Amino acid sequence: MNTYFKIGLKFIVLALILIALNFLYKFTLLKSDIQKYSPIINKVTDVVNENCEIVYLGESSNVAVGLDDLDKRTISDLIADYFPLIKTGAITKEASHANIFYELLKKIPENSAVKTVIVTLNMRSFNATWICSPLETPLQKSLVLLKDNPALFNRFKLAFKWYPIISDSESEKKTKKMWRKEILKFPYEFEYSNVIDWDKGQALRGVKNQDGTRNEELSVLACHYVKTYAFQIDTTSNPRIKDFDHIVQLAEKRNWHLIFNLLGENTEKADSLVGRELLFLMKQNRDLLVNRYNRKGVMVVDNLEAVSSEDYLDKKWTTEHYAERGRRIIAAKVADCLKVLYPEDYASLGSSTEKVAAFYNDCEGKTVWSQMQTLTLEKAFSGKRASKVGQGKEYSIGLEYPVKGLIDSLTNLTVDLRVFQNTLTHDAKLVFELVGEKSGHQWNGYRIADLTGTTNSWQLISKSISLPKEFYSAELFKVYVWNTSSDPIYVDDFRIAFDK
Amino acid sequence: MLFNSIEFVLFFPIVTLLFYFLPHNHRWKHLLLASCFFYMFFIPQYIFILLITISIDYVAAIYIEKTTGGKRKLYLIISIISTCLVLFFFKYFDFFNQNMFLLSQQLGFHYPEKVIKFILPIGLSFHTFQSLSYVIEVYREKQKAEKHFGIYSLYVMFYPQLVTGPIERPQNLLRQLREVKVFKYDDLVNGLRLILFGLFAKMVIADNVAAYVDQIYADPERFSSLNILEGLFFYSFQIYCDFLGYSSIAVGAARAMGYNLMDNFKNPYLSTSISEFWQRWHISLSTWFRDYVYFSMGGNRVKVQRWIFNILFLFVLSGLWHGANWTFIVWGFMHGFVYVIENLLARILKSRKAQNRILVLVSNTFRVIRTFIIVSFIWILFRAPDFDQAGLIIRSLFNNLTLPNALAIDNKVWIFLFFFIVLDIALYNNRFDRWCGKLSTSVRWSIYAVMIFSIIVFSSVENFPFIYFQF
Repeated sequence: MNTYFKIGLKFIVLALILIALNFLYKFTLLKSDIQKYSPIINKVTDVVNENCEIVYLGESSNVAVGLDDLDKRTISDLIADYFPLIKTGAITKEASHANIFYELLKKIPENSAVKTVIVTLNMRSFNATWICSPLETPLQKSLVLLKDNPALFNRFKLAFKWYPIISDSESEKKTKKMWRKEILKFPYEFEYSNVIDWDKGQALRGVKNQDGTRNEELSVLACHYVKTYAFQIDTTSNPRIKDFDHIVQLAEKRNWHLIFNLLGENTEKADSLVGRELLFLMKQNRDLLVNRYNRKGVMVVDNLEAVSSEDYLDKKWTTEHYAERGRRIIAAKVADCLKVLYPEDYASLGSSTEKVAAFYNDCEGKTVWSQMQTLTLEKAFSGKRASKVGQGKEYSIGLEYPVKGLIDSLTNLTVDLRVFQNTLTHDAKLVFELVGEKSGHQWNGYRIADLTGTTNSWQLISKSISLPKEFYSAELFKVYVWNTSSDPIYVDDFRIAFDK
Repeated sequence: MLFNSIEFVLFFPIVTLLFYFLPHNHRWKHLLLASCFFYMFFIPQYIFILLITISIDYVAAIYIEKTTGGKRKLYLIISIISTCLVLFFFKYFDFFNQNMFLLSQQLGFHYPEKVIKFILPIGLSFHTFQSLSYVIEVYREKQKAEKHFGIYSLYVMFYPQLVTGPIERPQNLLRQLREVKVFKYDDLVNGLRLILFGLFAKMVIADNVAAYVDQIYADPERFSSLNILEGLFFYSFQIYCDFLGYSSIAVGAARAMGYNLMDNFKNPYLSTSISEFWQRWHISLSTWFRDYVYFSMGGNRVKVQRWIFNILFLFVLSGLWHGANWTFIVWGFMHGFVYVIENLLARILKSRKAQNRILVLVSNTFRVIRTFIIVSFIWILFRAPDFDQAGLIIRSLFNNLTLPNALAIDNKVWIFLFFFIVLDIALYNNRFDRWCGKLSTSVRWSIYAVMIFSIIVFSSVENFPFIYFQF
């Protein structure tokens, strides 16, 4: 037999074997591999399965909370407060950026309920440090199995490490190269033309204390600010621009409303530590992004200067991690933007963004309320978990919130929740409790079995009560389900809303 | 460039195809360029170190051939010293400084504590030895000096064996580099078979057990005695499959272009003694030491005391070759010690060979297991970063009898290990490519399918570099 014919024949056999192996893999091990190596997909699946209409894509800014925060909910949870009747969901992954968001958005099926997508636009993600970050390696690795290729080919890519791998030393080398290469242009004379020189100059100059001595800690921080924000986005070469452009195209294709949430940066500190030149670059980049994407029909929420310095959690580093008030400010601005799309569904929470009037917990563990240990995978109305109460666990997941954190002039409270009960013999009660020296201890319980008589299926119960006149003199209010009997019940999707 | 990377998946077919398309007189240039590219994928500037070694030995060999008498020896010594100096500078300088500093503290003389750390150029020990082998062979007049600088450079840099061997001899490789290679279907197929086998050994066996070994060596006190035993067992197969994998791919990649490299392994864990183990493990290095060091010292044609010294010296040197650390030196010494004891006992207890085949089988099985246990135990010194950690492993092995199991081993790891052991036994004194060639088409293709599927689907997604890269 001719050698070339023999080789050709073997290639054909090999191709057939690979096709067969692809099917074998797809129908046997792919699912478990995805859970193992690309668990990020679960967040997309949750959003789709829960029929969310609004989806928020975020990075660490959407998970970081302060230890002292009374309300430890995320920006996306706080946005959801403004639209109590619209199902919202979040896809959050630390260190993510536009490319990761784009890949995840592609995984949302065309026939899903998603209508609006809010994408975090983090200015820092355009800088050299982030573009060349070694964190990119695990992020890209987590996407390999999700690409639109034959399953076996994706697994091959994973096995042979066919994704961007950036080591620490490579990252440093590439970052420095970018810093050296990029020439910074100002409309006026400035002594430094690139980050390397500016960083050196800043290090030499340092930051002085009031008595004129050098403050070492602040000097280091100032240099870090230079390295983080001293860049000018080049729309022709910056990879993030390309990724955000892809998101715009995808949104157009899917008929999604698209909102870019340009996160706040600590401009006050940038100004005080480094000076107006750095602030100039930050604002120039902001203007570029806002104008570029407004022109493309995207609603861009400009939060660059929205959060004051004291509301940043990390005082000695550059992050977009906000304390409660910072998160509320960002959420309020995004909600204002969403109001244009959902005017009917917008629930005003008062003039002050610091105070609230609505709370929601889907019992998935993302929003921290009391008695989180009652969350179980045994049953769920939405998502995967519900709170199980009874059989020794007397208190369900519940809200405990300071009254001073609520907006003024409230008169009514409505609690909506889903309940699953096997029998009607339990003594579970929906409890509203007020605690405070001036108000005294007030406790009101409403029997669940009286609110719904249906067993063995999820039921929506709704209870409205008028607030007592001592309400505003109380310190804390609590809402939860209490069950001392041995017959457990399950509760899910708590919604607590006050109104005037 | 790593053999188990996507870069190599693209590099190998391109280089091999181009090799056959080019006329013979251009092939050396093509292979040399490809080898430079392959090497520069790690740290590009280190190619200059390689160039220094190549240049020294190229010139030295020509002068050795030209001259006679004392001058000839002088050129050899200059060549050996200067080549070894490069190795010493990058590999042993820091180790030397540290020990001199410690010694100065003990003996009370002044020695500055210098902290100069160089990144060891990948494969330096391998190509240094290959280069030395050439000048020694020229000196011994068993090899003519190569006048063509390009061909000689290719002999040292030939990409399949550049980084971790096999350490070739000029009589084998240099000769082949001048031969006109004609495309042969069998060469290509056998080469691909070896590559497939190598990838399976590295990616499916070595990398999957590596994760457990790392866990155990990181914190041995947390694990039960049984877990430590599992760790020792796993490491024995990790290092074997890791190095066997690399060597098989190397031999396979060369074979695909018609070049035959020497085999580095012959079922070492089926050895019935330590001396047999060293005839089967890292053969290219063992024979290098045997031919150029052991024989030069008189080999075994000396008095017993001198022979013991020769053996211990050889093994200590072999340990030092592996790494600039006392653990490697003691690892080598331990092997030498067992080797000597085994041989002395054999001389004293000249046992009669059993005639009964079953008795022979039982006896050999027992001896194979005994040798495997000894080798696995001594591997502790090879794997542990220092004596403290090695001691901790040994103490945990004996003291943690009552600790609960703390190692959740995936069942698939045991299945693959079992499969590999069966395959290793089936390949006894044979090689995968030749063994495969004798199977029926359906069985052969079924094995290919299982191996391809395992490599793609069951290989570890973590990055475990080839262990011998550090040497």
